Amino acid sequence: MNVQFKKGVLELCVLVLLEKQDRYGYELVQKISDQIEISEGSVYPLLRRLTKEEYFTTYLQESTEGPSRKYYTLTDKGREYLHKLIEEWNEFTRGVNQLIKEGGSSE
Amino acid sequence: MNKKQFLQQLDSALQGLSQEERRDILQDYEEYFASGLEEGKSEEEIASALGSPRQIGKELAASHQVERARTTATAGNVMRAVWAVIGLGFFNLIIVLAPFVALMGFVLSGWLMGVSLVASPLLVLVSAVINLGTFVWFDLFTSMALCGIGLFILIGMFFATKSVMRGFIRYLKFNASFVKGGLRHD
Repeated sequence: MNVQFKKGVLELCVLVLLEKQDRYGYELVQKISDQIEISEGSVYPLLRRLTKEEYFTTYLQESTEGPSRKYYTLTDKGREYLHKLIEEWNEFTRGVNQLIKEGGSSE
Repeated sequence: MNKKQFLQQLDSALQGLSQEERRDILQDYEEYFASGLEEGKSEEEIASALGSPRQIGKELAASHQVERARTTATAGNVMRAVWAVIGLGFFNLIIVLAPFVALMGFVLSGWLMGVSLVASPLLVLVSAVINLGTFVWFDLFTSMALCGIGLFILIGMFFATKSVMRGFIRYLKFNASFVKGGLRHD
């Protein structure tokens, strides 16, 4: 799929994954790359950017196995932004699906 | 590529960022390696899934520079941000550099026009001194009127430059969040 297109969607994926629970970076990346083919390193720049824009806060937590992990929590501002993105996404896919359906049926 | 090489390359691509920020970024990736190793992956596997450390570094540096230009829009910061964003990909050479040059041309010509209008009474005097006898009062009055217009233009340019810069930085931010981003090229 188109590179630019995926990058825009990556933001939505990260926000959605954080809606129900806090997660750490590796976990987020694995969840996404299970579904979409991404270059895993590109998620961290995104996480940093969204943290700077105050959509997330972070905290460190010891893990049982190794070094402490940085967890990301969605803020209220982030939640609001997520809902806006979901709405836009739904509208967008509805439109595209409609076009695909019409395009397919006219042949 | 193993973990050490990956982190080294990333670190060297992060030049221009503060020590603290670099350490923080490297820590994120170290944590990532640690988590992957726990799952039984090898350092090489993890590094190759992460993608190019240089590209990741470029992207982090670009968003850092844009952020800095946004908070303090000095000429130097804006130039650095433009440069960093252009570095994200060849494509950006056209869609970032071209509008930037055009905007700079507009801003520069506005300032030049303002300055030369403001200086016009001075020029009339200078020319009167050089070519004695050619002094005409009408020239002086006209030039003073032009000087007034020039002052208005300069004030206008001050605000125009500010808002053009702010708009362009917003564009850089949008661009940096969309172009490339280390996503795998299909």
